[in-house]
Amino acid sequence: MLRCKQARLLSVRAGLEAIVTMPVNDAELLPRLRAGEQKAYRELVATYQGAMRAVAFAIVGSRNADEVVQDAWLAVVRSLDGFQARSSLKTWLLTITANTAKTRLKGNRREVLLDDIPSPHGSVGDERFRADGHWFLAPHAWHHDSPEALLSEDELRECLEKTLASLSELQSSVLQLREREGLALEEICNLLQVSLSNVRVLLHRARLKVFATLEHFEETGQC
Amino acid sequence: MLSCKGLVAHSSDYIDGQLGVRQRWSMRMHLAMCVNCRRFIKQMRLSQAVLRQLPRGQHAELDEIADKLAELRRQQR
Repeated sequence: MLRCKQARLLSVRAGLEAIVTMPVNDAELLPRLRAGEQKAYRELVATYQGAMRAVAFAIVGSRNADEVVQDAWLAVVRSLDGFQARSSLKTWLLTITANTAKTRLKGNRREVLLDDIPSPHGSVGDERFRADGHWFLAPHAWHHDSPEALLSEDELRECLEKTLASLSELQSSVLQLREREGLALEEICNLLQVSLSNVRVLLHRARLKVFATLEHFEETGQC
Repeated sequence: MLSCKGLVAHSSDYIDGQLGVRQRWSMRMHLAMCVNCRRFIKQMRLSQAVLRQLPRGQHAELDEIADKLAELRRQQR
């Protein structure tokens, strides 16, 4: 199984590739940031604050996450001249955030809790299967078959928010960084210093909870 | 032979491309024969898309942070 250490080699390679193919957006944004252009900072913050907060949230928890993000932004502004574009701007920002958060922890790293906190609509557990491993309660077809159709239901959106709020801080961050921010699993395990296998477990369980929420809504029409 | 339960257990790894060639192949074989599991994977992918498109809270305070950072940067130069 690929551990985070091996994954790190892959991200070094990805970093080297980034030199050659620096995202157009970064190349365009950097000089404007260095010049202190207000609009450039608005773009930067709107794009990356969510991902930075997810990283901080996973490492220091909800109480100190906002402060860590604030400190990270200050460090970013201070270090802009030194940014060599060896990685993408996003990777650089998230690395600064993770480092700021780890410094805040001062070695009191919290344990990675893989024990699952129950979610409002459960998961896809053993009770769904027969002893031979075949489905006992197989999934039914859903009424809505596109994300737009599902999200048009206000109640479902609220329901989903509740499920997301029920996740542990680490699990919620892993899910957000993967599904909403599009980070590779290797990037997530490097940033959060969690093994790749733990990231996979956390992500899988979170996805099953989200699935169970949508399924519950599709079957009952309510939260 | 991979069971439906086994397929569900490995579904995220399948979606994320984390499986080896043999495991991926046995997932595909199972999916070719099992309508329930095909539906499950389809709904898992739909759940992912829903999360991606879930509206983000728009905070006025983000612009405020940005403006302060820009000012700080100009002061540094």
